[in-house]
Amino acid sequence: MKVRSDILRIYRSLHTWVGITSGLLLLVGFFAGALTMFKQPMDRWINPPEKRMPWIQESSLDQLVAQVMEQYPSARREFTLYPIEREDLSAPMVWTETSGGRELDLSAEQRIASLDSNGNLKTDIQMPSRFGDLVDMLHRTGGIPGFTGDEYLGVYILGIAGVLYFLALISGVILLLPTLVKDFFALRYGKNKKRFWLDSHNVVGITSLPFHIVISLTVIVFAFHGEFYEALKEVVYPNQERAQEMGESQHRNPQDILPPSQLLQKVRAEAPGFDVTEMLYMRLDSPRPLVRIAVYKPEELVHGPVTGYVGVDPYSGEFLLTAMLPGKAEGWGAIVNYFFALHFGSFGGSLVRWIYFFLGLSGAFLFYSGNLLWIESRRKKLRKNAAPDTLVTQPRNLQWMAAITVGATFGCVIGVCLAMVSGKWMHAVSDNINYTYVNIYYICFAVAIAYALWIGVGRATWHLLLASSLSCALIPLTSFASWLIPGLGLWAYTSLPVLMVDLTAAAFAVVLMFAAVRSRRRAFSGNTDSVWSAYKDKKSQAPGLDRKEFPI
Amino acid sequence: MTNQSPGNAIRRKNRASTKLQPDWWSKSFAGAVLGLTLALALAGLFAWVGPGGLYAPDKRQFVMWMIAPLWVTVFSLVYLIPTGKRALLILGGLNLLAFGLLFLVRFISEGRV
Repeated sequence: MKVRSDILRIYRSLHTWVGITSGLLLLVGFFAGALTMFKQPMDRWINPPEKRMPWIQESSLDQLVAQVMEQYPSARREFTLYPIEREDLSAPMVWTETSGGRELDLSAEQRIASLDSNGNLKTDIQMPSRFGDLVDMLHRTGGIPGFTGDEYLGVYILGIAGVLYFLALISGVILLLPTLVKDFFALRYGKNKKRFWLDSHNVVGITSLPFHIVISLTVIVFAFHGEFYEALKEVVYPNQERAQEMGESQHRNPQDILPPSQLLQKVRAEAPGFDVTEMLYMRLDSPRPLVRIAVYKPEELVHGPVTGYVGVDPYSGEFLLTAMLPGKAEGWGAIVNYFFALHFGSFGGSLVRWIYFFLGLSGAFLFYSGNLLWIESRRKKLRKNAAPDTLVTQPRNLQWMAAITVGATFGCVIGVCLAMVSGKWMHAVSDNINYTYVNIYYICFAVAIAYALWIGVGRATWHLLLASSLSCALIPLTSFASWLIPGLGLWAYTSLPVLMVDLTAAAFAVVLMFAAVRSRRRAFSGNTDSVWSAYKDKKSQAPGLDRKEFPI
Repeated sequence: MTNQSPGNAIRRKNRASTKLQPDWWSKSFAGAVLGLTLALALAGLFAWVGPGGLYAPDKRQFVMWMIAPLWVTVFSLVYLIPTGKRALLILGGLNLLAFGLLFLVRFISEGRV
């Protein structure tokens, strides 16, 4: 297909600039987003066993709730029941003394409750590990701290990045149109490394284009839905403040709530074949109480990241909200459910989660390779303009961009892996493990970038790849150590999802190690005028030196 | 030598003016701001005259979801307009048209109620 050259030129500039400005932020978002696919298994891998309480029969939940309602006023506003046992959960009933707000409270202690074998209430206080939630926050904010109003600043910035990302997708497709047939699936692997990277960038971009379009649009909506609704209210919808008829705002007594087993029965009748994984009781002492019940069936398309939801009145058992119940939504609500499910990958069980995991990683690859390609094309330009037989030295800003790209990418990987491992190693010594996670992540991220800037990107790339590989390897090695040396005070679970975490981390350790070896080879045998060459890191080294003997 | 004839010179000049100008600031402004307001008006029109009418259950959510795809589609295609000035004029005109229609529809429908 022919495209006019002036169109190509403009969209090439657009592609370059939106890519350079939003690429790294999106890279972090995609990497962390891929991990959130397995947020629950990671939490199951990490959760310390010592405070975990025995689970109880579903029929005993009634007794548990009744006893807590009577003895703990702090639970009379909000609490959560988990009818099914999992390693990342500590007890069948949990509440926080200071609850409320959607933001992640890293220092909120939880009270957990269960029954002993005689049916007596036992409770404890714990500081829950929020590793999965922190990965999720990294995914939603790109790691940018701070708030604007009551929303994370990073969410808005990622929303803007989502717009730029869409522009990058469209301009990228336009750029590919003239050579689409010729280049599609052509992976030219040879001397020309740039060709290979460009081919991979194109193949990954085109094959996963629908996924990327879905993600970019949903990211924009997730960031700006409040503003969009506000604008619609102002401009489109009639100005009738449908004043919420509060009725007689009767405050109910939380001790009168229906027994959970009755609600479970009702929900099972409404959604046969689903597991009830969570019952979140909200606003029990207010005029609008609600139980948000999470229902799970792997192969079903659901509204939430993992489960569908159904809202029930805790006092009457009446269904208040069934639009997020799989199969029950109709019309526009059903279509909207698709948008959510397409972002979350929650429509086909584990298979789709794995596909989304790799699509997320391939997105991260897209931004990484995009940045590298820009650096390479700048190098080409410089070489063309330089006098023959002179070694082009790359300008500072190009060196810096390359170093920041490499440092941020692998700093993020190292940070997440080490934070996860610290959940076990630091558990005994850390006052609040959640702050440990955050500190370790940001330290790794900053150190990796600083290291790449300091040592030069040529050597930093394979050093950081090596460090990423070792960080990944620490995950299965930690599990292995807990089994080998029981005295360490570590623990490991053996359920399939947890073992898969170890196995996946081991596989990535191998892949990253392979990449490190390749990258090292390039640093010492590739073009010496490239930013990837290790030579210019030492001014004294001339290109005529025997490359094999170059000191590390 | 024939190249120097006045007719060819004019033709060449015309061709140069149809060539896309980058005009990054004006085009990007047109796409980012006027594209967004246009998307809002189009979503609003869909809310009033689209299937189900204004108060179909959960339709407001769908209408909200329409804004982003409309906006970024306009945004990504605005650079195809030859000059920044024309991009501002075209998108400004489309905005006037869409908002005009929206308020007309609102006026008629609300008057009828």
